[in-house]
Amino acid sequence: MAKEMMMSGCAASAQAAKLAKVEVACSYPIRPYTALMMELAKMVANGELDCEFIHGEGEHAQLSVVFGAAAAGARALTGSSGVGVTYAMETYSPIAGGRVPLQMMIADRALDPPGDFGSEHTDAMSTRDQGWILGWAETPQEALDNSLINYRVGEDHRVLLPQMVCQDGYFVSHIPGPVVIPDQAQADEFLPPYKLPHPLDPHHPVSHGPQIRPDQGTIMDMQRAQAMLDAPKVIKEALADFGRIFGRKYGMIDQFMTDDAEMVFFIQGAHAFTARHAIKHLRAKGLKIGMVKLRFVRPWPTQEVAEALSKFKAVGVVETSTSYGGAMRGGNLLHEVRASLYECPQRPLTTSFMAGLGGEVIPLHEFYYMADVMSKMLKLGKSEKTVYWTGFESE
Amino acid sequence: MFNIPKEKAVPLGCITPAPVTEQPMMITGNWREYRPVIDNEKCNLCMSCIVYCPDACWQLNEAEDEPVWNAKYCKGCLICVNECTSGALTKAYELDFEDGVVRLEKPF
Amino acid sequence: MAVPVKTQELPMIKKIRNIPKEEMYVPGHRTCAGCGPALQYRLVAKAAGPNTIFLGPTGCMYVANASYLCTPYRVPWMHTQITNGGAVASGIEAAYQVLIRKGKWQGELPNIIVMAGDGGSVDIGLQAMSAMMYRGHDALFVCYDNESYANTGIQTSPMTPYGANTTFTPPGPNIPEGKKLFPKDPPQLVIGGHPAVKYVATASVAYPVDLMNKVRKALNVKGPTFLHIQAPCPKGWKFPENKTIELAKLAIQTGMWHIYEWENGEYKYQHTPKEYKPVREYLKLQGRFAHMTEAHIAKMQAFVDAKMKAPGKPVEIPLPMPRE
Repeated sequence: MAKEMMMSGCAASAQAAKLAKVEVACSYPIRPYTALMMELAKMVANGELDCEFIHGEGEHAQLSVVFGAAAAGARALTGSSGVGVTYAMETYSPIAGGRVPLQMMIADRALDPPGDFGSEHTDAMSTRDQGWILGWAETPQEALDNSLINYRVGEDHRVLLPQMVCQDGYFVSHIPGPVVIPDQAQADEFLPPYKLPHPLDPHHPVSHGPQIRPDQGTIMDMQRAQAMLDAPKVIKEALADFGRIFGRKYGMIDQFMTDDAEMVFFIQGAHAFTARHAIKHLRAKGLKIGMVKLRFVRPWPTQEVAEALSKFKAVGVVETSTSYGGAMRGGNLLHEVRASLYECPQRPLTTSFMAGLGGEVIPLHEFYYMADVMSKMLKLGKSEKTVYWTGFESE
Repeated sequence: MFNIPKEKAVPLGCITPAPVTEQPMMITGNWREYRPVIDNEKCNLCMSCIVYCPDACWQLNEAEDEPVWNAKYCKGCLICVNECTSGALTKAYELDFEDGVVRLEKPF
Repeated sequence: MAVPVKTQELPMIKKIRNIPKEEMYVPGHRTCAGCGPALQYRLVAKAAGPNTIFLGPTGCMYVANASYLCTPYRVPWMHTQITNGGAVASGIEAAYQVLIRKGKWQGELPNIIVMAGDGGSVDIGLQAMSAMMYRGHDALFVCYDNESYANTGIQTSPMTPYGANTTFTPPGPNIPEGKKLFPKDPPQLVIGGHPAVKYVATASVAYPVDLMNKVRKALNVKGPTFLHIQAPCPKGWKFPENKTIELAKLAIQTGMWHIYEWENGEYKYQHTPKEYKPVREYLKLQGRFAHMTEAHIAKMQAFVDAKMKAPGKPVEIPLPMPRE
């Protein structure tokens, strides 16, 4: 029987690894994801999980170790946070382009400088061009669920891509939340064993990654682009199957109180949790407001975002990451939201709110402020600013 | 789906088949200016040419007890001639031979 | 649960006539004519046999071998970054441990061999190599030493000899010797600090049977092993391409390279010359040393002499010379 417990996101991710019967894990300590590896180490030591637990010498090594392990045919898992994620940057494209599915759990942490243990999404977001599947969890339950979903999607032979399964550091990785831990039988039904088309196997020799000419490089790039074109279909199949087996229905985007909404928060990660409560309070005051929550940044659900958001009059994108010098001089999400909406005949007014940066909480009153800005924007009929640094705007 | 012509295709993930006895996508026989020539009478089967060739272009014919030369891939480095212990190997100008170096129609 | 342990005992090759016939590194690769590293690769692959997986960190033995979209490796092979050969090998070894244990793969634990250049072993690849040695993975790390970053057009590496002309150490009035620094000592690095390592050896293309037997010995050891193989590079060292083996022998005859094994704390030496030739005999055949003055050669001789007293043991570097 599936059982419900209170547990942190790190612990929930470890439970997912156990259910997925991860075969090789590579650890290296960095706050705040470390607890995932501490949990896995315990599972291995007491025989709960038959997994080779390798102590990597650094994050770049972690990714390299699991790359080798996965290429040899084992389900492999690693993880990191903050500058650990960026230290491994060299490895991301080789792994994705080599079409070797493996999973990386990221408990977000603001990038240096200087040391800041709080959560920002920029660590994982800055890898978004490397060709991995990338997305965020709102709660420890989603941390577990997203992990299983990502193994299933990434390992599908129509996709064959590695996955970054992200959760806000501390808010999700450490604060316990209710988690229903599925049965092993449910997990086994959802997730087939790991099987590569061409693993490194002396019985069937192949060469992984010979040098290519520039013209062949274009073809490689197109292959990788094709994988991202094919992935959404596989994701939707997996989400449907997940709903059927585990009873939790997810989409590439989730909508909350949007049926008659005039304005929505567009958000990903932990702060969606607070947003729900803010929305309920604002609704009680008569505001027609809802939330569209993003589960996958890569592949970006362009069609779903366009269809969903074009129904509203105003969209406030909550940015918990930075993209210095970007077109809007704010975060990462607004650019892709606007790109998704560009061709739509009906387009909402859009703006963005820098919030929760540095690892700060987004308190309810900041969400009320954002709603207020959106209301004013609607009255005015245009967005006065595209980036509001929440809590620091003069008014 | 992208329309990639068959001749331009790259295997998925750049994972290519392993060769078995030779790699014909990289024929190197047209590199050489000189080729080694063997006088089997003088050969003492010291195995130097067979062992020292980076391109495995001398192989032992067990039946005849003779080293056999691989014209298709020999780059003409002449290590074998330099290391030959019996003087059986000498070098000769490639274009002196009727089947001398053939230029590839196009690079690679 | 049973832990898979290698049971293979690859036999030692007694006579050169009896070297294995099968080529695991086949003709058809874009390495330079006379390439020392290509030869050692061929010999290592031959010694290891078909139950082998090679890792190819970026370098000549990646780019030159794998151009374009094809390789000469008859056994499974994977490209790695120049930074992480040891780490990727560790992951493959871990995978095979668990796959065999779980019954998902049948067979003897494959030989897992990293084929890294000097840079990929003790410079940018040092961290990963050391960690693989530390963690005790059952795998072999081969450092093929052509004494430079050759593939990128001959730049200095920590294995480039003192006095060598490379494109990052060109000799000039300000720096007459070109390369001022003396090289690292990879076998000593491994021997000195990795308790899980039981076998380390040096080898040369000059002595192919010795090389192949050391590969087999290393592969028979259950645990991490390290081989340091000198592989002369005609392009980088600037000598005629037919002299690769001649130079490899001369390196040993002048004391520039030593052939030895270290096994469970004991040193054994092979092919030790009865009399050493002066190092200038070796230097004069290579264009990369053409600019060296008598003072530089003397400094090199002093370094080589100190090494000869106890091959394999760490030596004192001669103090910097005053500028002429």
